[in-house]
Formats: sequence, C-alpha cells, structure tokens
Amino acid sequence: MTAVIETDGLGKRYRKLWALAGCTLSIPAGHVVGLVGPNGAGKTTLINLATGMLAPTTGTIEVLGGRPASGPAQLARVGYLAQDAPVYAGLPVADHLRLGAHLNPGWDAEMTRHRIDQLDLDPGQKAGKLSGGQRAQLALTLALGKRPELLILDEPVASLDPLARREFLQDLMETVAEQQVSVVLSSHLISDLERVCDYVIVLVDSRVRIAGPVDELLATHHVLSGPRRHLATLPAGLKVISASHTEVQSTLLVRTSGAILDPAWTVSEVGLEDLALAYMKQATGRGHRHRHLEVQK
Amino acid sequence: MIEFHLDGRSGVAPYMQLIHQVRHALRLGLLRMGDQLPKVKDVAAGLAINPNTVLKAYRELEYEGLVAARPGVGTFVTGTLDGGSLAAHGPLRRDLQRWLAKARRAGLDDESIQALFLSTFRSASEDVEGTGRWAG
Amino acid sequence: MTWLTWRQFRAQAITAVAALAAFAILLAVTGPHMASLYATSGITGCHGDTCAGLASHFLIDLTSGRGFPLLPDGTNAYVILYFLSVLVILAAPAIIGIFWGAPLIARELETGTGQLAWNQSVTRTRWLVVKLTLIGVAAMAVTEALSLLQAWWAAPIGEAVGLGGSASIMSEGRFGYFVFPTHGITPLGYAAFGFALGVTAGLLIRRAIPAMAVTLAVFAAVQFATPLWIRPHLIPPNATITTIEAAQANIFPTGGSTIAAPASRVPGQPGAWITSSGAVNAAGQPVTAPAACASALPHLLGPGGSSRWDNCLASHGIRVVVSYQPVSRYWPLQLTETGLLLALALALAGLCFWRLGRRLS
Repeated sequence: MTAVIETDGLGKRYRKLWALAGCTLSIPAGHVVGLVGPNGAGKTTLINLATGMLAPTTGTIEVLGGRPASGPAQLARVGYLAQDAPVYAGLPVADHLRLGAHLNPGWDAEMTRHRIDQLDLDPGQKAGKLSGGQRAQLALTLALGKRPELLILDEPVASLDPLARREFLQDLMETVAEQQVSVVLSSHLISDLERVCDYVIVLVDSRVRIAGPVDELLATHHVLSGPRRHLATLPAGLKVISASHTEVQSTLLVRTSGAILDPAWTVSEVGLEDLALAYMKQATGRGHRHRHLEVQK
Repeated sequence: MIEFHLDGRSGVAPYMQLIHQVRHALRLGLLRMGDQLPKVKDVAAGLAINPNTVLKAYRELEYEGLVAARPGVGTFVTGTLDGGSLAAHGPLRRDLQRWLAKARRAGLDDESIQALFLSTFRSASEDVEGTGRWAG
Repeated sequence: MTWLTWRQFRAQAITAVAALAAFAILLAVTGPHMASLYATSGITGCHGDTCAGLASHFLIDLTSGRGFPLLPDGTNAYVILYFLSVLVILAAPAIIGIFWGAPLIARELETGTGQLAWNQSVTRTRWLVVKLTLIGVAAMAVTEALSLLQAWWAAPIGEAVGLGGSASIMSEGRFGYFVFPTHGITPLGYAAFGFALGVTAGLLIRRAIPAMAVTLAVFAAVQFATPLWIRPHLIPPNATITTIEAAQANIFPTGGSTIAAPASRVPGQPGAWITSSGAVNAAGQPVTAPAACASALPHLLGPGGSSRWDNCLASHGIRVVVSYQPVSRYWPLQLTETGLLLALALALAGLCFWRLGRRLS
C-alpha cells in the first residue's frame, strides 16, 4: 500500500527549540490516522510541515509522493482543515463555495451544494455568524470539495461542544466511507480518536513515541499484574512501557509479539486511551512534570 | 433493518460488539435469511466509527458463513444461528441446576462459582477453537 | 483567483470609487468659475512682460474669493481647495499602503484564513501575484486619476505661475515640494511603492495594526526625505556662477563671518529649480564675508541697508554659485524618480514572494 505521508528524520527548529525531532514515519493510505499527544508536543508542527506551511529544518517529508504545496496539482490532492476552522467572517457561505470553485479545478459543486443543504446551512449567512460546529462543517465542506486523496485536520473538534463534536465525527466517517479518502487528524482528546481511528501516532515532547495500526497495537500490548517482581527477572522480548509497584504487587504495561506463558501474571487487554497515556507518561518521566492532558469518556 | 449501538464502557472491541449484535438479532429472529444488513456508510455515520471497523465485523460474519457481501448492493443474511433444538435446553438446564446445588454444598460462594465456571468455559473454548486468542 | 481578489477587495474598491467621485465632483463644481476668471483675465494672448502682471492679477482675483458661488466674498476657497487637492494626492499612496497593503497578508495570517486560502489548488506564489498585480494596478490608477483630475482643474493656476505670476502661496513651480510628487507620472511610482511597502510590512510584522503604523511612518519618512536629499541629485544638477544681483540672492550672515546666499533666479534659465546656492569668490571658492563689509551689517535691515550690504560684497568680488535643474530636466527627473520608486516597489514585492513562498513560520 502506498504511503500518504512519508517522513525521514524530519525535524523543525525554532531558534533553540526543536518543535519536532527525528520523526520517521510511513503513514499508509486508506486509514483514518490519529495524531495524539499533549499540547505543544509537535502535532501542529508536523501538520504544518505536511501541508507545506513550514519548511523542514532537517530531514524530508513527502505527501502523496510529492513535496508539500509544491504546485497546484499537489495542492489539489490534499484537503486541509486548520485549527479552529478559520473562515472569512465577512463572506457568506455561498461565497465560500464560490471561492472553492474558483480556486480548485477539481471542485465538485454538486456535492458541496448537497452537503450545505443537508447541514441546514443558510447560503446567504455570513460565515462569522455561524456557530462553532457549523463553521467546522463549512470548513470541512471546503476541504472535501476538491475531492482530495488525503484530508488533514488539525484539532477539528477541540473547541466544539459534545453534540457538535459527535455530529462532526459522524459526518467525517460517512465521508470516509463514501469517498475513500485517507484522513490524518490530530487531537489531544484520545476518546475522540478511539472510535474513529484505525491507525494511531503518539507524539510527545516533539518525538514520535509509537505508531501503528490500532488493532496491531492493542494486540501486542498487555497489562500484566501479579506479585511484586524486579523488572530484570522478566523474560526477554518483553518491552516494559510503564510499571508501578506496591510492596506486594507489580502492574506493568508491556509490549510483546508473543504469548505470555508465565502463570504468575494476570494478563488483561489495554484500551487505546490507556496505551497512549502510558507512552505519554513514559516520555515525560512518569508524571513528574504535569502536562495538560484531557481524557474524557 | 436492525440498528447498531455501541457500549463504550463494556471493554469489548467495537467490531466484536457489532458481531454480537448481528448474531443476537439472528437468534431472536429480528434478522432473517435474505435481510440486508445496514450499509457500512450508514453504520459508520450513525455510530461515528471507522468504516473499516464495520467492514471487519461484516467480513468476520461472512467468514462464519452468516452473511454474504454483494458488491455494489450490500451485505445480506445467508445463514442462521441455531440455538440448538429447544428440546435440548430442558435437560441441560436440569443438569446445570444439579451442578449448582453440588457447588453450594461444597461451600463455594457466588463469586467462586462464577470464576470456576468462566475459567473452565474459557479453557474449553480455547481447546475447541485452538486459535490462542485472548479471552474476551 | 481573480474573482477572489475582487471579492475581498470589493469594499475597498467601492470606497475608492466613491472618494474619486467626491473629489471629481468637488473639482467639477469649482472648475468653471476659475476657467471663466482665467478667460476674462486677458492672459491668453498676452505678450512678454505684461503676462506676469496679468497672471498675478488673475491669481489674486482667484484667491480673494470674489464672486465664488455659495461662499461669502473674501473666503480663500481656491487656496483651500488647491492645498486640499494636493494633500489628497500626496496622502493617497500612504492611505493605500495602510488600508490596501498592510492588511493584505497580515489579516490572512492574523485570522488564520491564510490556511484556508493557501490550501486550495493555487500556490501561495500565484495567490500573491494576482493580488499584488490587480490591487497594485488599481492603486496606481486611483492615484494617477486623482492627479490628472487635479491637474485638469488647476491648469489655469499652473499657466499663470508658469508665466511668472505670483502673489499667493499657490505659486510653487512644477518642481515644488508639493507639486512634483503629485503631478506627472510620479504619483504612479508613489502609489506602487506605498502599496508594496504596506504589503511587506504586513508580511513581516504579521499583524495588521502595527503594520499600518510602520507603513505610515516609513512612507512619511520617504516623502519627507526625497525632495530634500534625493530628488536634487537624481540627475547631477548644473551649476553656474553669477552676480548677486542676477541671481536675486538674498545674502545674510549666519554667525561669525559665514554667509548664506539663497538665490531665487538663474539668469537665462526661467523656471529652473534651484537646488542650492552659496557665496563664492570669482574663482568659485566658498568665501566668508570680508571684514570690510562688517560696517554695513548693523544697518542691514534699515532702508537701503541691504543694497549697501550687497554692493559692498559685490565690490569685494563676491559672487553666487547656483546649482539648479533646468526646466528641460523636468521629465527626465520625473522618469528617474518614478523609475526608482517602481524599482523599490518591485524589490519589496520580490521580498514578499521570497518570504511567502518559502515559509510562514
């Protein structure tokens, strides 16, 4: 399967600070990819590099096989929805569609008109007067109107109320089912991503910690609990992601490709949220520093 | 047509929940031979889940021989789930009641009985299926 | 892209057209009266020395406000209008830079709409090309239109001044501080420069209001500095040494024995623009006031005092060196200044292309 985004040692530095470092990814097509991590982890930087808004300091990035924003043909294949769904406040909804039609040779006018109808948006209303959810839907319509192969969304639902959030994700999933478009979306809310993503990338402190298909990640990570043990006594091939001990008990989150045969351990499955959290804690040093995380069920 | 729902807190993977709900509907007669399952697009949109998840569930059901996909049209029920002949239920129930009485006489409390039953059930399923999948 | 440029520019375009219309109406309403005054002044068809007198008479008549419609006699309506109209043309490039240029990129960056605009199927470069070209041409057209309207309206005044008429503060020649940048083709250059300056400020500063302030400051500085230090030397001025009397130099002491010699006439070069002048000896070297003439100084301001002072200096061989641009240099200077401004505008545009096309961090 071809990769929608391919990076090699990608890094971006602002003066002395590396916003993203050593990022090597090969994101396959045909997935809904979740880019998850705390605020400031580098998600928006990676997205800006993918859309060509930024140029890399080190390394390379290829989107759909081409350099980001390198020309009209490349731009036409990637749809982008920026954080907080920016729209032209003084321009009515209909003029936004006209904007799309004039600036995109591959514009699907009928589909976008149909979407606006279905969303119950008034074409004559100025975009600045729309609610947050409506703005996000308008921006999504604009991003999809040119029939892109890849859709990139930066925190699309972060500032939406729960109902608008649910409606947006429903709409997005319906579009993915209909249009066969690959999606990369970032969020610091893991619960949003769980139902919607089948490929996840955890980004913490400007580095990729873990990336892969959700099914595979969930199948290879387990929570082991049992009598207190020193980590060195564990069998080889078991990579400990996080561990906590009491005087009598140890609880570990491990990654392994094989079966766990030691009967002393009680093995349980781990959910995506706990898995991501464990990697985040590992990256930031076991919660010594508090990061702004939101986890909601 | 049946409608799916997801329990976010059950700890069961979404695709498994969909499979269970189809099988449950088959058992209850809500789904009959030839009925169409909801379109992947509609399920994904209704539940806000990845279409691949729905596809995975439908493929699994197809592998079990319960449904068949007709490209461009939809997925249709092709098999039935036998709950076993109802006649077998009576004796099985009486056997179970006898076993429960024995367990109580041996001094097991409710939770021990459940744990014993579940662990035996699980290891028996693994033996039968032989896939080595984690229980769940 | 053309549609989008127009749609986003629509409000500003309407404002500009309205302003142009108001300007034109104001001038059109007051033009005929001036034209009739001019026609009855007898300047057309005058000969030689009478012309200057007739021209001055016309200008005094014009500025005294006699018979001006709707206003009481004596109001200096035409003086006000004249300066207002020149001011509008002077200010137009700055206003364009502030309201058309500065927000162009800055607003897109500030509000985040750039992420919408620059992720359609047009590159940032193309977006900028269309925007700069269309709005830049509009800027130049509006400013030049203002200039042409004003030139048409003020033609009688220009003729009168050209014939040597004076007696009002509208007597700047075509090289004047206010006249040169607002007539001819220089308005095109200033418009292009002002606009490009605004766009660049907006791109570098990334916020519209600070960019507007910076644009205003830089443009004002350029408009201030150009006539003083740049325009006189765009083409090296000619120089001639002549007598104090011929140059109508008003020599005065500036402290100690140094003297300044501002000239107001270049013999044989009517209408020339005097860029500098100074007191020199017969050999052309700068001199100071001879001690012998010091006795004439205390009586300088009294009756006949200045001619005694001048005679004393002249008798000691003191002459005046005058640097000037002859009238024939008007259009070459116009072209040079406009060319310089356009080159600056293009350089700024190039900077914008480089910055916008590469990175937006």
